[in-house]
Amino acid sequence: MTAVADDPRTTAVEQGRTAAGSPTLLGKRSIAKMGVAAAALAIGLFLLPAITSTFWVKNLTSAAILAIVAGATGMLYGRVGLVALGQMALYGLSTWITLRLSFATDLPFPALVLIAAVITTIFGVILGLPALRLSGIYLSLITLMSAAGFLVILSEAKFPNGGPGFKGLVQEVTNRSEMRRPDIAIGDFAYYRYVVIAMVLTYLLALIHVVGKPGRAWASIKQSEAAALAAGINTTTYKLWAWALASFMTGIAGGLLAGHVKSPSVFPFIVEQNIILIAVVVMGGVVSLWGGIISGLLAAVLPELFQKIGVSDRWSLILFGVGLTVNLLITSHQLDKAGIRE
Amino acid sequence: MIGISNLTVRFGGVLSLAGVTVDFPGGACGLIGPNGAGKTTFFNVLSGFVVPVEGSVDADGVDLLAMPDFKRARWGVRRTFQTEQAIESLTVFDNVRTVLEHTSKHGKDSARTQVLDAVEFCGLGAQVYARVGTLSPRERRLVEVARAVVGSPKLILLDEPGAGLPEAESEHLGTVIRQIPDHVGATVILVEHDMSLVRKCCDWTAVLDFGRLLSCGPTEDVLRDPTVLAAYLGQEVEA
Amino acid sequence: MIDTNQLFPFLMSGLGFGAVYAMSGTGLLVLYRTTGVLNFAFGAIGAFGASITWSAIENNWAPDWVAYLMCIAFCGAVTLGYGLYLAPRYANRDDLNKMLGTLGLALILLGFMFNLWKTEDARVFRLPTGTRRVQIEWFCNSEGKECVFDARISYTQILAVVFALVVAAGVTVYLKRTKMGTAMRAIANDREISSLLGVPVRRIEAIAWLGSGVLCGIVGLLLVDLFGSLDVVLMTWFVIPALAPVLVGRLRHLWVAFFAAFAIGVVEAELNASTWAWPSLYRKTTAYVVAIVALLWFARKRNLVISGRSTR
Repeated sequence: MTAVADDPRTTAVEQGRTAAGSPTLLGKRSIAKMGVAAAALAIGLFLLPAITSTFWVKNLTSAAILAIVAGATGMLYGRVGLVALGQMALYGLSTWITLRLSFATDLPFPALVLIAAVITTIFGVILGLPALRLSGIYLSLITLMSAAGFLVILSEAKFPNGGPGFKGLVQEVTNRSEMRRPDIAIGDFAYYRYVVIAMVLTYLLALIHVVGKPGRAWASIKQSEAAALAAGINTTTYKLWAWALASFMTGIAGGLLAGHVKSPSVFPFIVEQNIILIAVVVMGGVVSLWGGIISGLLAAVLPELFQKIGVSDRWSLILFGVGLTVNLLITSHQLDKAGIRE
Repeated sequence: MIGISNLTVRFGGVLSLAGVTVDFPGGACGLIGPNGAGKTTFFNVLSGFVVPVEGSVDADGVDLLAMPDFKRARWGVRRTFQTEQAIESLTVFDNVRTVLEHTSKHGKDSARTQVLDAVEFCGLGAQVYARVGTLSPRERRLVEVARAVVGSPKLILLDEPGAGLPEAESEHLGTVIRQIPDHVGATVILVEHDMSLVRKCCDWTAVLDFGRLLSCGPTEDVLRDPTVLAAYLGQEVEA
Repeated sequence: MIDTNQLFPFLMSGLGFGAVYAMSGTGLLVLYRTTGVLNFAFGAIGAFGASITWSAIENNWAPDWVAYLMCIAFCGAVTLGYGLYLAPRYANRDDLNKMLGTLGLALILLGFMFNLWKTEDARVFRLPTGTRRVQIEWFCNSEGKECVFDARISYTQILAVVFALVVAAGVTVYLKRTKMGTAMRAIANDREISSLLGVPVRRIEAIAWLGSGVLCGIVGLLLVDLFGSLDVVLMTWFVIPALAPVLVGRLRHLWVAFFAAFAIGVVEAELNASTWAWPSLYRKTTAYVVAIVALLWFARKRNLVISGRSTR
């Protein structure tokens, strides 16, 4: 081979040719990362429930569910460069479908959640297929508009409570049925563990994509769509793939929420929550999936923490606004120093 | 050989390319012209980003314009951009691998060998697992060249690869570009303002001015052509 | 299917909301064209200003007209402050991140409103125009009991329509006829070249921020009157439907946005006249559906950005 390389610094290549895998997968750093993840999982599954009350375990359950939505939103933002402001609508849609299915069928809980997630994915793709031709601010706006429109419908339709008809609504509260939980996770502590494991599984699903061929294609699209096309990447397919994956993860979260709160209100899905979500996602950091967990904790646990110490939970809203602003200021300053204009 | 005939591109009322007919004979070819002559538009047509109102592109007997943009890379069109576009968040290896895995099918080992060959060809052997974000401008340009030569490209479009590099560095880049046709057997079209780089790499050169073909032929003849010199008047030709 | 007696009254109320959409749209559009910032805090700032007015009236801090001015002054000052101190720091970011910056401001303002006022209580104040109504009776029969056009409208509705017209016309004249306006249009076309040509970019941006801030104060006051109460959450996110006409105008054409605003307001209101339940239950989706359709219309043609230039 006629290497133009003018010096013998080809050692890395030579090592690479003999090594079995890419050094990024089996290096010391990745083993250390896996160790940290395993330790964190152990703490999350066993230590946290052991030292806290039912109240906090319920909040941690909410945090783990939100972490799935945040992980999906962060993946779209950090890996593909798409800012979705309507994720809470898909989340609510899936909660609604799960509840409706649970009253209509005798399917086991995981099947309910999976079916709801798949239907949610289909809805996400139907919107995404035309919308993904848009980019930047326009894509964000169409997702936000969809979420606002969905909220109007949800506020009227409300969540099913075991009644008849398509809406599954019954007026007399006495007859109201509740969403069932899986047999192995009836209690709040067991359900918490169930949710954490589901969260880890969805994160693994995302991780498999991110380190593989789709992840490289996404990185390419994020950098420049034109360059990605020139590299032979079918950008429409890969963007839609990311979109579908995020919808699916959000759908899983919606199903888990149905089991968590059993008879949900509209509040978790109001427009504000979409803005809060993007704020906590930016605060948590979009490059790593750990950011998703931080985001979930911020959104679900922080307001409760404020109330516990006697401060209005409304302060969390201010904190999210400040967090988003500070984060933008820091990244803008860094870009400025590097002389980069977006 | 890349045969272009009567290629016309219109943006609003402005003719960016006005019936350009030219045959690129193969090897490394230069494409020069003053700013706004239509060079990048020409590349955009070949990559499928801009649809011409008229004209045809015959690449080794294949009608290039009939192919969707991302499929052209599979056929063998590669391109770099004026602003460097190597993917910052990925390693050099993954950058090159991304192009290969979307343009051709290979077994894992054969893909690995091809990627490493391309990286080595560009002299980036020592940085193969470095993240592109940590590399120097020269190295990033070389990553782009490696992305362009991996697999079996047939037509490589390089849009000002030397822009912003000091002379010594673009010298090395020129050596790499010069060897591409022999190494991978592709036709290279090089858009460049740096005439010394064009001289060094290209035996054959075409000149565009205001969307029209001004001159074409062996590089030395073209650069001595009085009409070409007139077009560059005010923009000094580095002879 | 349609209660024809209701068509005219709902048309009148639709025009009132359409006027507020139009005014918001004008403020959002001109600011976006001049600064590249889509101000999502528009509604939150207006709600905050209106809350100040409510406190001033409730506690007799000042005469009513001073209280109204306090709202407009607050909105102008906050918007201008953001434009002078925070917005320039995002100058190197794309439109999306500039927009996220204003979402941060919206959250902060909303949080403070929740903390400073008992937002769950119904808070009401009326503009002097809101308490006076005029009875329209056109084309009545001989006894004067049955009229083709019959509605009671408040002066606020009339004021809103007149204001919206004056603002849109004023902005158009300003952009076309004055030196500053011409400079503003130059910036909207190409800010770098304008700045190289010596256009005072910062000063013109400040004017745009201040102008849209004042508009947002006026919108805040009108909304309290039209909604009938001060709901900070409703008002904060009013900015989202208000963006629909701006999107119909492709973030560019003021008068397209203006008429789209009235159209959306009227359709939203007229759906109430349906005798079926669902059109009136879901009538609030009108603006969102219009916005989604407008955005998808953009998406017909792909827009690739190659080395900073668009292929479109």
